[in-house]
Amino acid sequence: MIQKVLSDMSNEARDPRYFQILFLGTFLLYGVSYLGWQNETSKYIALLASVVVTQLAFTHYTTRRYSSIKSALITGLGLCLLLRTGSIHTAILAAAIAISTKFLIKVKNKHIFNPANVGIIAAMLLTNDAWISPGQWGSSVLLWFFVGAAGLMMILKVGRLDTSFTFILTFGVLLFARQVLYLGWEPSVWLHQMSNGTLLLFTFFMITDPMTTPNHKYARVLWSLVLAVGLFVASNFFYMQTAAIWLLVIFSPFTPLFDKLFVARKFEWEGIPLERNDTVIIK
Amino acid sequence: MKKIVLSLMAVCSMGQVALAFCGFYVAKAGADLYNNKSEVILVRDGNKTTITMSNDFKGDVKDFAMVVPVPNVLAREDIRIADRSVFSMLDAYSAPRLVEYYDQNPCEPVYEVEEDMMLENIAVAESTMSRVLRDKVKYRVTIEAQYKVAEYDIVLLSAKKSGGLKQWLIDNGYSIPAKAEQVLEPYIKSGLKFFVVKVDLNKYNPTANGGFLRPLQITVKSDKFMLPIRLGMANSKGEQDMIVYAFSKTGRVECSNYRTVQMPTNKKVPTFVKPNFANFYTDVFRNQHSQQGRNAVFLEYAWNVTPTWSGVKCDPCVGNPPYAREFLMAGVPWANANGTTTYFTRMHVRYTLDKFPEDLFFIETPNKEHYQARYVITHPAYGDLSCAEGKRYVQRLKLRRQQELRSLATLSQWDTMEFYDYVANGTDKVRIEEESDQNELFVVGGGNGSEGGPPRALFFGFAGLLILYAARRVYSLADSFTFS
Repeated sequence: MIQKVLSDMSNEARDPRYFQILFLGTFLLYGVSYLGWQNETSKYIALLASVVVTQLAFTHYTTRRYSSIKSALITGLGLCLLLRTGSIHTAILAAAIAISTKFLIKVKNKHIFNPANVGIIAAMLLTNDAWISPGQWGSSVLLWFFVGAAGLMMILKVGRLDTSFTFILTFGVLLFARQVLYLGWEPSVWLHQMSNGTLLLFTFFMITDPMTTPNHKYARVLWSLVLAVGLFVASNFFYMQTAAIWLLVIFSPFTPLFDKLFVARKFEWEGIPLERNDTVIIK
Repeated sequence: MKKIVLSLMAVCSMGQVALAFCGFYVAKAGADLYNNKSEVILVRDGNKTTITMSNDFKGDVKDFAMVVPVPNVLAREDIRIADRSVFSMLDAYSAPRLVEYYDQNPCEPVYEVEEDMMLENIAVAESTMSRVLRDKVKYRVTIEAQYKVAEYDIVLLSAKKSGGLKQWLIDNGYSIPAKAEQVLEPYIKSGLKFFVVKVDLNKYNPTANGGFLRPLQITVKSDKFMLPIRLGMANSKGEQDMIVYAFSKTGRVECSNYRTVQMPTNKKVPTFVKPNFANFYTDVFRNQHSQQGRNAVFLEYAWNVTPTWSGVKCDPCVGNPPYAREFLMAGVPWANANGTTTYFTRMHVRYTLDKFPEDLFFIETPNKEHYQARYVITHPAYGDLSCAEGKRYVQRLKLRRQQELRSLATLSQWDTMEFYDYVANGTDKVRIEEESDQNELFVVGGGNGSEGGPPRALFFGFAGLLILYAARRVYSLADSFTFS
């Protein structure tokens, strides 16, 4: 009996979402204690509470698979880290929209929009009270993301990080070619642009979401390649400072198309670490 | 040889007494406290940016020259002369402030406090067609336009090569810092034009405007909302300060490629800070600057200044809020129209090349939260404090003063040991009947960790869990690799 409980716990702990929650949570606390975000604490609590409540409500009337709370928490933490709002109401609205789209906008049982992404965009479009502060991280967070990426790589066994690496490498190479090789800025200018916290968070924690990226590996690589080129053009030639978030929401509806062209099995969180096949539970 | 002035200098300001509904303003720390500094008014409206550059050039005006990279060739109406007073006015309105309160004697009936305030007012071209052709061939530099604007001669240049531009500037009598060329290159390749200014000695009147050159104001159209600081770092050694007064229709303006950090505000500090407020604030700033890694932009003021908006424009006011004339002069004409919101942000950045490799980019946010850098002193009650409530008051006062000293140490890094008698005897007007208890006077400087305690503990807790979790996963992966 005890063995079974322990084994269940250990299987449960393999869920990479725990790592993501811990990582994003640590990061948020770093911001609160060292980057001066302490005034926003009440909004963070409101965001996290609302994602959980919304997720519970929808789950109760649909699948009743309550382990999805973990996904909701990741969405909530993503919102805390990226979205700034003037009031708690706007934060709650963003959280509610983010989670609702997961249940309401679906194609072939797969939701289309990255929930945190759509929550941010909806709050910015619907209210005049939400924004993104691309500079709020400073450039000292690069190390954090190396740690995060290394951790994710370990836990996902590279699995879904193909999107991140394709994206950041493509964008990095293009940016280096433009800023350093063509324009002639020092490499420090390039490094400064690459170590932007919003970019890194987007790369390692938003487009890695297996539910809203194409199922097939090649499709994912192509998908992130196009996204990287898009971001490069938008930020370097149209000077859009929050281009990544907008591009992702524009780009997301094309994911089903990629899935149609490249057929592969849909991702399931519960099926991820397959070291011991006897413990895999799908549905 | 003209000396290129790539960063611009300071303005003096006069303080003024103002009474607000809570607390009296007694001192401020204006822009004139910093040596190597410039002031800029930045107005954003759609894709239009109006930049007013303060000009504090001292020396022979024939040596004055300025080069500013701009995104497009400016038309004559895009170049204006502003009045110097607009800077001192905005500085006086938005400078970090010290306010004072008076405790009431709990042993006496309520009476009106007579304020005797000691005020600390701390300072705050013409070339021929052939020449144009020659320039185009020889330097690959094109004179896109030239204007005479009041005392200034202005040329707008576009260039193909930084070497050519540099040579053109040298041959036309401008001295160029050695490092400027490598910065000019990226600007040229980004398609920027160069706004080159010198003084027309025939028009310059040395007796007008206190001998100062007047600020130039330009309006550019571009999606880029930025200030080019890199050129200014080419000829400067060490740190430079810049105060940015920004206006937008939406809300606060913040830096988008560096952190924008609020200065600590509403902190209670000891009463002896009053005559030293300027020193105090410069130390607070220096301390914050280094604590935040020397690469942050600091918010010093943010407020809705819409003239038709009925709320208070400052609390308390250090100077008058900008009004019709100032808005016009600052390049914010829409502020005077009905139905538009005007939001004002004051930012302070201290930059060096190693920490600010990139120009400053800005973003308008809908953030309308008011903010001011405000420090508070509270004078103790005086008179007979021998009643029971009075004794309790004296105890509370001691505790408060200890806290004030701690907060002073944390904010400014001053050695508070010097002021050890502040807690017990700091005020001669308080009759403290208890024996002087030296033990509780010990307040040691530093104490950075005292703020934000619980989140930090939580942060370390989470980080620890994260490491444990990761370690556990590595272990179990290694395990599965071995046995599968």
